[in-house]
Amino acid sequence: MRGNVLAIAVQLSGLVLAPLLPGVIQTIKARLQGRVGASPLQPYRDLRRLWGKRSVAPHDSTYVYRLAPSLSAAALACAVLVAPIGASTIGWLGSDMLVLIGLLALARFSTAAAAWDPGGGFSLMGAGRDLMFSVFAEPLLLLAFVLVAIGSHSTDLVQMVAAAGDLHVATLPAHWCAALAFGLVVLVETGRQPIDNPDTHLELTMVHEGPLLEYAGRDLAMLQWTAAARHWLMLVLAVNFFVPMPATVPWNLLTLALGVAGLCALVALVETSLAKMRILRVPVLLGAGVATCMIGLASWIAQGAL
Amino acid sequence: MTAPAWLLIIGAVVTCGGIVVSAVPQSMRTGLAMQALGVALIGAAGGMVVVGDGSVGSQFSNGFGPTVGVDPLSGFFVASIALVSTPALIYARGYLSESHHASAIAVTTGAFVLALVGVVIARDAVTFLIMWELMSVAPAVAILLVSRSAETCRAVLIYLGSTHLAGVGVWLSMLTLAHLGVFTDPHSLAAQPMVVQSLLAGAALVGFGTKAGLMPLHSWLPRAHPAAPSQVSAVMSGMMIKVALYGLVRMLFEWLAPLPAWVAPVLLGVAALSCVAGVLYALMQHELKRLLAFHSVENVGIISLGLAAALLAASAGQRQLAALAFAAAMLHTLNHALFKSLLFLCAGSFQTQVGKLDLDRLGGLLRTMPLTGASFLAGSMAIAGVPPFNGFASEWLTLQALVQLALHGNPTGTALGALGAAALAATAALAVFCFVKVVGLVLLGPHRQKAVASSHEVPPSMTGPVVVLAALCLAIGVAPGVVLGQMGHLSPFGALPASAVGITLAVPGSGVFAPVALAAFVVLCAAVLQLARRRAGTTAPSPMWICGQVPDSRLAWTSAGFTKSLLLVLTVVLRPRRTVSVELDGVLVHSVVHESEVPHLFDELLFRPVLSRVLAASRMLRRTQSGSLRAYLTYLLVTLVVVLVVVRVGVG
Repeated sequence: MRGNVLAIAVQLSGLVLAPLLPGVIQTIKARLQGRVGASPLQPYRDLRRLWGKRSVAPHDSTYVYRLAPSLSAAALACAVLVAPIGASTIGWLGSDMLVLIGLLALARFSTAAAAWDPGGGFSLMGAGRDLMFSVFAEPLLLLAFVLVAIGSHSTDLVQMVAAAGDLHVATLPAHWCAALAFGLVVLVETGRQPIDNPDTHLELTMVHEGPLLEYAGRDLAMLQWTAAARHWLMLVLAVNFFVPMPATVPWNLLTLALGVAGLCALVALVETSLAKMRILRVPVLLGAGVATCMIGLASWIAQGAL
Repeated sequence: MTAPAWLLIIGAVVTCGGIVVSAVPQSMRTGLAMQALGVALIGAAGGMVVVGDGSVGSQFSNGFGPTVGVDPLSGFFVASIALVSTPALIYARGYLSESHHASAIAVTTGAFVLALVGVVIARDAVTFLIMWELMSVAPAVAILLVSRSAETCRAVLIYLGSTHLAGVGVWLSMLTLAHLGVFTDPHSLAAQPMVVQSLLAGAALVGFGTKAGLMPLHSWLPRAHPAAPSQVSAVMSGMMIKVALYGLVRMLFEWLAPLPAWVAPVLLGVAALSCVAGVLYALMQHELKRLLAFHSVENVGIISLGLAAALLAASAGQRQLAALAFAAAMLHTLNHALFKSLLFLCAGSFQTQVGKLDLDRLGGLLRTMPLTGASFLAGSMAIAGVPPFNGFASEWLTLQALVQLALHGNPTGTALGALGAAALAATAALAVFCFVKVVGLVLLGPHRQKAVASSHEVPPSMTGPVVVLAALCLAIGVAPGVVLGQMGHLSPFGALPASAVGITLAVPGSGVFAPVALAAFVVLCAAVLQLARRRAGTTAPSPMWICGQVPDSRLAWTSAGFTKSLLLVLTVVLRPRRTVSVELDGVLVHSVVHESEVPHLFDELLFRPVLSRVLAASRMLRRTQSGSLRAYLTYLLVTLVVVLVVVRVGVG
């Protein structure tokens, strides 16, 4: 274990608190659209309802289909426990940034492979699009990570977060480019507008929801929790990296909570003000993110040379 | 003599005996078993040298007498060859039982494996080159034994042609080094002018790079590898291209070091191109073995990224980082050998049951061939770089090396490291995409033809080797540090720090990567969730949701359909061709013919123009060969006059 016990308790409670984030975003979004909307606790109610039902498996499906929800939930649980909270982490599962990329890939592989098992067109359409996005999002995430790691000269997440608390880092152009790129990755990974519409009920427009189409009951509950855990992971990392935080414990936890709430509001605002993009335009947007990272990199090299 | 030397000799004798025995059709299976045993003994000798760091046999010599010897680097490659070839040879006992020319193929396979070992343990230029040529010819023989269709003959011609054209680079660099005496005294090259060093490095890069399948010199690879019998494909993709990398490593890190400054950036660029374009073309293939062959190009690219990072770090004086990058490249060499041979052997098993390996005509093989299918799934996850398999461990190390180069290097190192890391991240995402497609089309979903539905599991002699290879992939994925710890003597830059070779991995400047804890947590968590899932009651069967229509296998998703979105995004790069012809019968549509293909642009834009120029030039030259006696007499006269003039005037 590294760091403060209270922060580690928050990290563990992320497994439980994660569904709160999509709930909060939905509530804020509803308010912004002039509706009352559901309570932020709605995801928990959905999970409870789904947990009470038994699972459904299409004919001829194999263990790949049945294992996928547990495997992707396990991968995301692992990722939540790897991502530190304010420079503290449980530490048993490692603390390297590249491990996160691997765990996200594991979750993606298992859900996308499971989409092939029933072989339904809608699931495969969604899975194919999700994988296509990932081809551009993964290098973007890596480059953003590298730019963040400049502050600490280390890929250790705890050190990266600790160094990001330093105000000097916030003056680096590279850090700002990383923030822009990371923002795009947050939208892709969490499946939010303008990349994907989480509220869609039209199979043809689904991306992240597509591979979930055949699932029901506890399987679906696990997959919905996985999606919520992705929100937790990405938003917590974003605040950790890009909001300068005080080093002492109760205060940085407070900053973290405020930051995550702020980002939820920001995501809701983006969702309300932007329509979903055409799917083939998304790689262009992500490519712009990669270009931003290159600019950040160039600025850093120039700074070193001067 | 020491124990490894005895093991090596006994192993070689047993393998040769096995080759002789397998030449008799009745005792082919016994012969293959003997070959496998012999190769395993040779591999054990290699492994002992790696672990013990006691070199065996002679050192490199500049002479022409045949000498052999094993040092840790050779030992590592010998052990890797054995890890791939032993399962492949055991597999061949079942695989070849119903094949034509079975015993001839068995003999060729054995000779091929011995030639690979020979290249790696050769200690003089002549032995090296003889073994190199034998290694190149043996697969061609095996391919022609299987099929002599026009297409196969063409593939073999292109394979032999490019191998021999590139062989010039290998011959040139090896013989020049022997002439200059570099094998015994690495400093003797420093006395040569820079041009000679650059030319030698260029010859080595082209020669060994072609054989390794680095882009843009890879054109033979996706043609030759799929045509060979599966156990030969497995050894070709698993080890032959690695033996070429062995040559490259010797050249770049021992004999030609310190290299001209241009080599490392060029190698990094070529490697990044190989991995991204290799996997991109793999993704667009619709035939399983061809797809796997393109993935070999990708993985050679990943290994070369590690090698280039090591060169860059070494030239900047960062020896510890160079050691890390080198270790990453070596670990990925071993890992790719394991999972690629696993995948090729599984593909061979599918082929015996189904016939052709057209991806759109398979489906549901996990249900009819559970063991082979599960091994194939494990191999797919390994090659896709998904934890907790071995592909992720070595990709983590390679990425780590590139990122550390970016964070701690000079401006060149920063730019190249970050670009290499981004290329590798894109490659990893594309590999996940590709193997989700392969797993889906081959193992899952409905059976897409009758032959698939009537397929059944292959005999234990064919499932055993693939299960063992799958277990090895998982084992190295869970404990990569243990393997890395044994590989400390390979690197010219010294051993890795102790923190990188334990149960958890951490290199200077990285966080902790705890593969055991990760694997245990994911498995445990998934198991608990599975139990919870069962407690909710039995799973209800249901039809698939397709808006209430009746499922029809003709509406099933195809390989091209799944990757269509990416193809549309990358149209500018990939330039797909698509023709739709509609045949009308009056006003009624009689038939619609749709054809689409993704052309291999390296062939179309690079090799075909070069080839047509060369052919045109040789046609021009042919005009001088008119066959008329008078013309030849004129040539003689002209030559005589020129010689006389030269003698009279004098040269120089």
